[in-house]
Amino acid sequence: MAGSDAVTRVLFEDFTPSAVRLFYAIGYSAIAVFLYGVYAQVRKYRRGAPAGIPLNLLPRLESMFAILLNHRMIRRRDRPAGEAHRLIFYGFVLLFLGTATITLDYDILGPLFGVHFWHGEFYLWFSLVLDVAGVMLGGGLLYMMYRRGWLKPPKLDYARPDRAPTDPDYDRSNYVREDWAFLWTLLTIAATGYLLEALRLVWLSGRPDVWDTRWWSPVGAAIAQGLQAAGLSDAAAGEWRRNLWWFHGLLALLFIALIPYTKVKHIFTAMGTLMFRDPKAAQRLPREKADAPHPGAKYITDFNWKQLLSLDACTKCGRCHEACPARAVGAPLSPRDVILSLREFANRTLNSAQLPAQAELDVHGKGPGQVAMETLWSCRTCMACVEVCPVAVEHVPIIVQLRRKLVEEGEMDPQLRKTLQTIHKTGNSFGESRRKRAAWTKTLGFPVKDARKEAVDVLWFVGDYASFDPRNQKVTAGFATLMHDAGVDFGILYDGESNAGNDVRRVGEEGLYEVLAEGNINTLTSATFNSIVTTDPHSYNTIRNEYPDFGGRFEIEHYTTLLLRLMQQGCLSVNRKLNLRVTFHDPCHLGRFNKGYEAPREILERLGCELVEMGRCRSNSFCCGAGGGRIWIPDPVGAEKPAQNRMREAATIEGLQVYVVSCPKDLTMFEDALKTTGLEGKFVVRELIELVREALAQPQSTPAAPVAA
Amino acid sequence: MKILVAVKQVAALDEDFEIRADGKDVEAEFLLRDLNEWDDFALEEAVGIKEASTGTPVEVIVVSIGPEDADETLRKCLAKGADRAIRVWDDAIGGSDPIAIAQVLAAVARREAPELLFAGAQSSDHAFAATGIATAALLDWAHAAVLTQLSVSPGARTARFRRELEGGLLHEMETDLPAVLTIQLGINTPRYASLRAIKQAAAKPIEVLTLADLSVAAQAVGEAGSLSRVRRMYIPEKGRAEMIEGSIESQAQRVIEIIREVAGEAASGVA
Repeated sequence: MAGSDAVTRVLFEDFTPSAVRLFYAIGYSAIAVFLYGVYAQVRKYRRGAPAGIPLNLLPRLESMFAILLNHRMIRRRDRPAGEAHRLIFYGFVLLFLGTATITLDYDILGPLFGVHFWHGEFYLWFSLVLDVAGVMLGGGLLYMMYRRGWLKPPKLDYARPDRAPTDPDYDRSNYVREDWAFLWTLLTIAATGYLLEALRLVWLSGRPDVWDTRWWSPVGAAIAQGLQAAGLSDAAAGEWRRNLWWFHGLLALLFIALIPYTKVKHIFTAMGTLMFRDPKAAQRLPREKADAPHPGAKYITDFNWKQLLSLDACTKCGRCHEACPARAVGAPLSPRDVILSLREFANRTLNSAQLPAQAELDVHGKGPGQVAMETLWSCRTCMACVEVCPVAVEHVPIIVQLRRKLVEEGEMDPQLRKTLQTIHKTGNSFGESRRKRAAWTKTLGFPVKDARKEAVDVLWFVGDYASFDPRNQKVTAGFATLMHDAGVDFGILYDGESNAGNDVRRVGEEGLYEVLAEGNINTLTSATFNSIVTTDPHSYNTIRNEYPDFGGRFEIEHYTTLLLRLMQQGCLSVNRKLNLRVTFHDPCHLGRFNKGYEAPREILERLGCELVEMGRCRSNSFCCGAGGGRIWIPDPVGAEKPAQNRMREAATIEGLQVYVVSCPKDLTMFEDALKTTGLEGKFVVRELIELVREALAQPQSTPAAPVAA
Repeated sequence: MKILVAVKQVAALDEDFEIRADGKDVEAEFLLRDLNEWDDFALEEAVGIKEASTGTPVEVIVVSIGPEDADETLRKCLAKGADRAIRVWDDAIGGSDPIAIAQVLAAVARREAPELLFAGAQSSDHAFAATGIATAALLDWAHAAVLTQLSVSPGARTARFRRELEGGLLHEMETDLPAVLTIQLGINTPRYASLRAIKQAAAKPIEVLTLADLSVAAQAVGEAGSLSRVRRMYIPEKGRAEMIEGSIESQAQRVIEIIREVAGEAASGVA
């Protein structure tokens, strides 16, 4: 029986030829509407600038499908939602493949070649798989409804920190309606599908090839049994089925037709962004084209097609909104809203056959869909948003490109303007004389080699904060002593070093960045060394990831890996265990940017510290607020600073003694925040270098930096 | 309408500087060069007028008197929106006082015939606050110093402006054009010249003029043409301070000692 050709599903049985023709007409129309929508969207993306990225289709497809199938990005920091999405995804894919199978059999292979395979045992397994797929889909959808309707996570309320309630584009209730319509439509399609199956079984219960195999469609069969028990006759079931069949079919076709016009399009757009995802999007910012009429992004069409595509890939999941340190302290920025604003702007201006006048394409300002300068200057370029985005939206390059235009027109905080001028003039952000860059070496009891004059094994790129900030100078001298004691052959560039430019670039002053990078690359190239070390994660990032674009290819490491190696090799040995309860703050540019999570932790373990992690650690580390040039921009008076927010988080750790940092800017920011939050005395902020020095000190000598209990 | 803006490349002291061997200036290697801050405001004022003009075209010309390295400052001015740049130099100009510099500026003004000549109220390095007004005197133009607000419509024959006087008083004035106006800090917000703009400005030519081009005699400038000369530049000895502690009697004792010491020094100085 199971192998019989008769075991299959009826499709258009009892339909008049005109009804069948009508159905096909509607089906083709739906496909036409879908295709036009796709065309209009592609036209919109093509109005962007060229992306200038290699196509590399095969590896890109491979990595995209890997992410898609294992759902690893969507599960992060919201496991239940990720799993529910996985159910919806797999259910949807199976049901789609199922429908495509029927089309292949009934509309393609059958009419063209007389070949049919959709029957017998194959059909039975097909029914079972699709029934299971429907359960997955429905289950996932129901959880999502429960989540939106009852759990109501704040990241889904669409509250905009960058708009006032009176602004015309403040209201996001249309998004909410769309979200619910999406869920209900899919759920209705799934539910009516089961009901149709059940009605068909009741209707054809007289046919043994249908009825005897009904449990291959377990959900449908169970409902059919129920309907029969409720007294539904075969004929009535057939009647019901005919009507419901149209409802189900039309709803499904409507769904397909509307894909390119609604949030459903993320199915395709997210596949696109995952394919063209740049794993170094925030670490290595795009260069400015020399022939561009203006720098950065002024008009929506200044974004490349990939960026325009990514605006449509955003599913408003709110993970970036939640992770953003600026948003967390009430700054008028949510990475999500930057993306949604630009999406709304692109949809308004780029969707018609004719491009509007250029003036209407300007994305800067406070109008609907525009991005305000206050929003752009709130960004710390800490990469929390890029890192957590499940569909690979790359917010940071978008924000920096918008800033480049602001910088060009001088629309920035006066203090930032002054700092940029200072850096141009003196090569450092402190406005100090170049000659004073190595003044900290005078406190050492040994000379430090000038790497410009003699060959060294390790060239130490010191960086501005470590060179000029008095508090950091002590740490800098400490690191010099450690290297000296460990017998490392090292040298520095003295006044030949300039600000590495990492933050200047993230501010959006690309021209100044080029001057700084090229200057440092020239100096470094003329020196003889094997590798570079730095205590500054910001310098580390730009030298490692961005200097190669300017011809500067150097081996560089952060001091944490060098110190760990010296300890492993026995060049530095711990003389006394510190027995401190500590927590470790991952600097953005060491952790998220360059995945340097382990070395500092291993060092802490060797020092005999008990490490208690904060809730936000490693890739979810919370920016100190100094990144992206914000260290040069005064924070609003009265508002909480990200560093203060972080100090309060650390203070929740029972018995915490030391908050350990490994970045000069972190030391400055957090020591300040510890005082301003009134938490001074509860615990102390220390550079990891200071703890290492303390643990290395001979027992009789006094520790380098006594730690308060 | 033409606006001529006189700008100066000023010197700022680097850390641990040294005085030149002749004792009249700081050794050049210890100086950081930049656009005089007051001139930055003057330039912004001119560019602002140009940008606000709807009908009459406004041309902004920057002029600086200095050797080749002043080009860097002129380029910055071009990047900020000046249309043209002129640099005047001749070795004879070295050692000029503000009046001699004004001779050269006046010659440039006669050549360009602007309706307005802006200068910074003073320069941050020498602080004579004389060049602009001296130029006006040589040209016999109307002039006003230390403007804190200016309104002029391109093509008009007059300009209105405000000056801050002592005691919170404001002076609102009107002047016929052409006029020389010296600009005070804070009159506007000078724009930022991005490195991109500065690089692009490198393509704009800087017109270099000599004294001969301006028909200024070499004797009219330099030390020869100046009424005042620098005798020496030096760092004065630091004054002393001392905290006197102890009982009233011992404090009084110490004060008396100090008075005797100082009086003794003064006496020997006279001698």
